[in-house]
Amino acid sequence: MLAVSPLRNANNEREGEMEGFSMEGSEFPDFSSGNLLDSIDFDDLFVGISDGDVLPDLEMDPEILAEFSVSAGEESEVNRPSISSEKLEDIESKQEKVAASVSASDLGSGSSSPIQGEEIVSRRNHEPVNPSPKDGDKGRKSMANSKNPPGKRKVKVDWTPELHRRFVQAVEQLGVDKAVPSRILELMGIDCLTRHNIASHLQKYRSHRKHLLAREAEAASWSQRRQMYAGGVAAGKRDHLNPWIAPTMGFPPAVPPGVPHFRPLHVWGHPSVDQSAMHMWPKHLTPSPPPPHTWPPAHPLPPAPADPSFWISHPHQVPTPGTPFFPPPHLPPTRFPTPPVAGIPPPPMYKVDPTAAGAVAVPGQSLPQPPSDVHPSKESVDAAIGDVLSKPWLPLPLGLKPPSVDSVMVELQRQGISKVPPTCA
Amino acid sequence: MGSDSSSSAQYIHMVQHLIEECIVFNMSKEECMEALSKHANIKPVITSTVWKELEKENKEFFEAYEKRREEKRSKPESSQSQS
Repeated sequence: MLAVSPLRNANNEREGEMEGFSMEGSEFPDFSSGNLLDSIDFDDLFVGISDGDVLPDLEMDPEILAEFSVSAGEESEVNRPSISSEKLEDIESKQEKVAASVSASDLGSGSSSPIQGEEIVSRRNHEPVNPSPKDGDKGRKSMANSKNPPGKRKVKVDWTPELHRRFVQAVEQLGVDKAVPSRILELMGIDCLTRHNIASHLQKYRSHRKHLLAREAEAASWSQRRQMYAGGVAAGKRDHLNPWIAPTMGFPPAVPPGVPHFRPLHVWGHPSVDQSAMHMWPKHLTPSPPPPHTWPPAHPLPPAPADPSFWISHPHQVPTPGTPFFPPPHLPPTRFPTPPVAGIPPPPMYKVDPTAAGAVAVPGQSLPQPPSDVHPSKESVDAAIGDVLSKPWLPLPLGLKPPSVDSVMVELQRQGISKVPPTCA
Repeated sequence: MGSDSSSSAQYIHMVQHLIEECIVFNMSKEECMEALSKHANIKPVITSTVWKELEKENKEFFEAYEKRREEKRSKPESSQSQS
């Protein structure tokens, strides 16, 4: 039936006409005569609308209001076959216009001027600008298909390596500490990700990085201490003056063969790759875990050379030649729920050691406050520095692009240093 | 110890290595200069020069590094937790 409930209120006193809208056949004698439009006094109708007591009712959602008019139209078509359909459509369209303009007036003008039929039409012409008629039609649809309100439902996101790579790129671009989920989302440009997905992934990423840096710094000091405890062969050679003259200065003689050269951005959290890598590592454990064979056996793996550069800023940077590259493909599995791979301690370096070198006491879970804190401990720093001096062949932890020697020399000479290393320290 | 180019190169490489270690510890250039002078007998001016050259070659990295350090400075209590 023509649901003119808002109108009905106003027009209760005009029972004859309003009741006519209820589409009871008996109450629409005029309809059957065919002079439907003539019989409906729209002026009265709208006057009724302009009444004060009608407008408050119209506070209701314009969508619902429009719904009424639309559904009313449909219903009347279905249920009242006796009424000529075109007349009904007219009524329906009028209803819509009424609803639209009423809501328009409710929303926009707020005026209570009587709305004449002609005004309705003219206003209708302006309606396209006003969202309410469109809302009316689409109201139901939009409500039916509305996106899940953010925060109320989480769609499980599969963080594939590709997806993660784009994520890391976006984060690096923004700066990892400044990266805001909404900006990351924009940069990634993937619309099936919600801000919430990004936010939680970012949180994991950051904590992961911190662990990496912590571990790396810890490795430096641990290795130093181990060297000292292991007989002090290297420690005994604390020759600060000569290491750079040593013939072994430079890169390690040979890149260990069979180093799984993972691209840094590659395999974070991806199950299949992790599994394949995982299968590799245990095999390499006993036969030839690359790092321990290259360096003194008591020495645990190098201080995660790839990790900081992995996460920090040069994801695409190939490490300096000769530097065995050990991105931690296994790091994610223990930290992130996505990969089903289990049982792998976060850094492969540490995993290798217990079996091969048998010296690593830190499985990676019991890290104290990392030196990357605001105030690095002097001992750690000292240890790291000592390590570099005594073992110049060690790979650089960050793998930064080295400056050209010439430019450094020129600059030094400008500062008054003509010889390097200087004879007087 | 002469000004042989290869020894210079080796020296500079060593200084770079030391600087990178300091960066792992989130140190500033000044802190690094002090640490290298104290622990490795390297003149601060050399450290600072190499640092600056590294910065030129790795602009993005150092920019991000500085940002991170600022972040940490302003949020001392959350340096370890999620930030």
